Amino acid sequence: MSVFKWINKVSNNERSRKAWFSFVCLVFVVLIVVPSIFVILKMLTEWGVVSEVFRDSVMMSTITGALRNSFSIAGIVTVIDVAVGVPMAWMMVRKQFRGKKYLDTLMDMPLAFPTAVLGISVVMFWGAPEGISIPGLGIVVSPYVMLVLLHIIFTYPYMVRSLSAILEQIEPNYETAAMTLSASRFTAVRTITLPLFRAGLVTGTILCFARSLSETGGTFIALQMMGVGSVFFTGPTFIAYMKAEYGVDAAMGSMILISVLMIILALILLVVVKLLIMRFKIPMKRVWPDFGRFVSRGAMPKLKDTVSVIFLAVIVLIPTFYIFTYLTQPMAEIDFGSLLYSTGISFLIAGVAVVFNIVFGIPIALYIARKRHTTSGKILDSLVNVPLIIPTTALGFSLALFWGSIYAGDSIGLLMVILGHIAFTFPLVVRNITGAVEEVDVSYEEVAITLGAKPFQAFSKVLMPIIKSSIIAGAILAFTRSLGETGATVAISDSVKTVPVYIMELIKADNYPEAAFCSIILIAICFMFMFALRMIINRGDRRA
Amino acid sequence: MKIKLENISMKFGDLYAVRNISLSVAKGEYLTVLGPSGCGKTTLIKVISGIWKPTEGRVTVDGEDVTDIPMEDRDTGYVFQNIALFPNMTIRDNVGYSPRVKDMAQDEVDDISKGHLELVKMFDRAGMFPSELSGGEQQKVAIARALASGSKMLMLDEPLSALDARVRVELRYEIRRLVKKLGITVLHVTHDQEEAMSVSDRIILMRAGGIQEVGTPLDMYRSPKSIFAAYFIGETNLMECTVSGKTRTGKITVRLRGGQAVRASKSDLEVGDPAVISVRPENVYAAKDGLKAEIIGVVFMGTYWKIRTLAETTDYIDYNVSSNDEVPKKGDRVYLVFNKKATKVFARPEEGLEEAIKLE
Repeated sequence: MSVFKWINKVSNNERSRKAWFSFVCLVFVVLIVVPSIFVILKMLTEWGVVSEVFRDSVMMSTITGALRNSFSIAGIVTVIDVAVGVPMAWMMVRKQFRGKKYLDTLMDMPLAFPTAVLGISVVMFWGAPEGISIPGLGIVVSPYVMLVLLHIIFTYPYMVRSLSAILEQIEPNYETAAMTLSASRFTAVRTITLPLFRAGLVTGTILCFARSLSETGGTFIALQMMGVGSVFFTGPTFIAYMKAEYGVDAAMGSMILISVLMIILALILLVVVKLLIMRFKIPMKRVWPDFGRFVSRGAMPKLKDTVSVIFLAVIVLIPTFYIFTYLTQPMAEIDFGSLLYSTGISFLIAGVAVVFNIVFGIPIALYIARKRHTTSGKILDSLVNVPLIIPTTALGFSLALFWGSIYAGDSIGLLMVILGHIAFTFPLVVRNITGAVEEVDVSYEEVAITLGAKPFQAFSKVLMPIIKSSIIAGAILAFTRSLGETGATVAISDSVKTVPVYIMELIKADNYPEAAFCSIILIAICFMFMFALRMIINRGDRRA
Repeated sequence: MKIKLENISMKFGDLYAVRNISLSVAKGEYLTVLGPSGCGKTTLIKVISGIWKPTEGRVTVDGEDVTDIPMEDRDTGYVFQNIALFPNMTIRDNVGYSPRVKDMAQDEVDDISKGHLELVKMFDRAGMFPSELSGGEQQKVAIARALASGSKMLMLDEPLSALDARVRVELRYEIRRLVKKLGITVLHVTHDQEEAMSVSDRIILMRAGGIQEVGTPLDMYRSPKSIFAAYFIGETNLMECTVSGKTRTGKITVRLRGGQAVRASKSDLEVGDPAVISVRPENVYAAKDGLKAEIIGVVFMGTYWKIRTLAETTDYIDYNVSSNDEVPKKGDRVYLVFNKKATKVFARPEEGLEEAIKLE
């Protein structure tokens, strides 16, 4: 109690509030922003080894090939996500139908699965890799197509969620108004709703693009299972491969180069995408009334909805859950000791990262939400998004270089991994809270203060309960994201074995059954954890 | 355009929003749909315009059954309460939207847009975006947009309720002038009885999903056919009583709760029937003799004084005094008399007076 009293007292002082906020900003910049982009600085100091890579034409072509794969896969995946995500978001927001609640829950499922697990499941479903006794569809597809199929799964929920969030805010009366003015639904949507939709499209595109660009674990496993792990690369798997095969010191030049290129290309591309979407004019002058009526009536809308649901089922859900078919097989020998140990490590890392992000994320989120129109607010907002856009493997590599330059030795490996996970989950927490705070009228807190509350009390007793559910949503998102992360972990430390890393190593050793059963157990643990968390939160609500 | 509704019902789940409504609207008529919130007014015009398809019943326009025609082929102008101008388009493009989606040529679209903006005197704002206009200006543009569809019927869904008081009054006369000039059939939904009185040719009074009463504003005010209409339109004093006498011509005398006799207008009721009389405040006068009452409140309303009294019959009775006249003070005793021609008699409702005037 006395601690809260002390905080209340201190919070009343303008200067101590400023000091606290400055401290938070300092932590944010020193622990998150600078280490994330440190590799760019490193490239200048290590120019010697980097320039050697330029002369190695074989290495250069591998690097450019990996980059081309990464960016083109991310691009294709995002375009597909937009095409199928728009009708799906529409259905979820504007339509009422039986089973909508279940569909809503199912859609988020791929987010709760570590991507390493998804990698196994997807390859099992589409292909029929050697060493796996479960029959898949047996379709022989190139590694490239397989990665597209894989990346769609974990980006799809992000796209549908971002689009739904915006669609919910668009007045449905606009469409009705357009239709009373003789526009068909198709024309109404194309000319009115879609142009108002851009913000959602930008968010969805950035999230999907960045997510696909970052993904390491699932991609690595898929390529490994297809037997092309050492010849076909994406940016992140190249970094992981180089580090595992040659070690950081030997591969320093190429790793720095590809990290920097990925960071810079990602930043440039995202700015370009944003500008393109915001500036792009959807052609409005021409309309095709007959065509519009044709696609808005009769069987066409039903066909569109059916195709959306089939896509969700066949491309997203069935491949996600396909790994459970292993339950029909005899139980594999599992090294429970190692599995539980790495599960413990994973939960520890995710837990510490989330708690840190809530404590330091809330002040930043409040500032961004309340001062969005000031220059400092805008700068902070862009800075927060930096770790989101940077591919996590590059981020991890950069972070390891940064701390490694301060303290040599792997004894602080776990701490560095935690710092890495803090960095790439930070934006997820802050964005969720910012969104919630912006919805809340600032006058609630002002009223509390006129009634004699100290600023901290106004926050903890008034604002906090209102935005609680968004904080929890952000925390869960960050937690699952941290649990599933492979790339950053591998890039930072060789000794820290989180669950996805552990599963990846089983796959590398061709131990598929054990990897699959470990995945199933991991998923079970995750779901039980989520369930327990929800129970605790709900009970807390009732008490309040 | 002539609109006809036959036994229209609209059900949401198990609830009837509108129940068994039949109605004819003449060509060029200005009709207001009046009623308390939740009575089904908006549902009714949404059904007429095709935004919703009725659960039962038919809608015909100029003799043609349009019930199954989707809204985009109805050609019904509709103006929304929240205005709903497209925020991504200029005023010019908003008004030109309907001709554009009908694939008319560009110069035709421009002509129609210009013409309709001039009609509402907003052409000088053509290049602006909706957010740059005031609420009243936006609603004018919304009306121009609805008319630019070439529609000969217009649904107005509480178009003025979001506007400032003065703008509201000015705009309502402007709308009426405009649609009358163009010969357009209008259904105007409102909960504001003063608005309904001042613009309509006819008023439809709705209550709980059904039509309570239809009539011209004057008829409905002077001779309402139900206690609810008397209560909802304008202000009135309602007093429970019993019919105590009837002349050969049908004029009635009633006995109020305290036993005082009051003369009233004609009615079909018979001697001994339980009844309710309705007298509007402007038909109550303070006199030397009559119903004894004590002043319990005096309020200045701007152009007149409203005097509230508690009569010896235990009824509250209000009356008006011109702002130029002397007003009594609280606690004073007065004698009240009613204008007998304007004292309407209704049968006392079985469900009780309270229930009969309840808004929900």
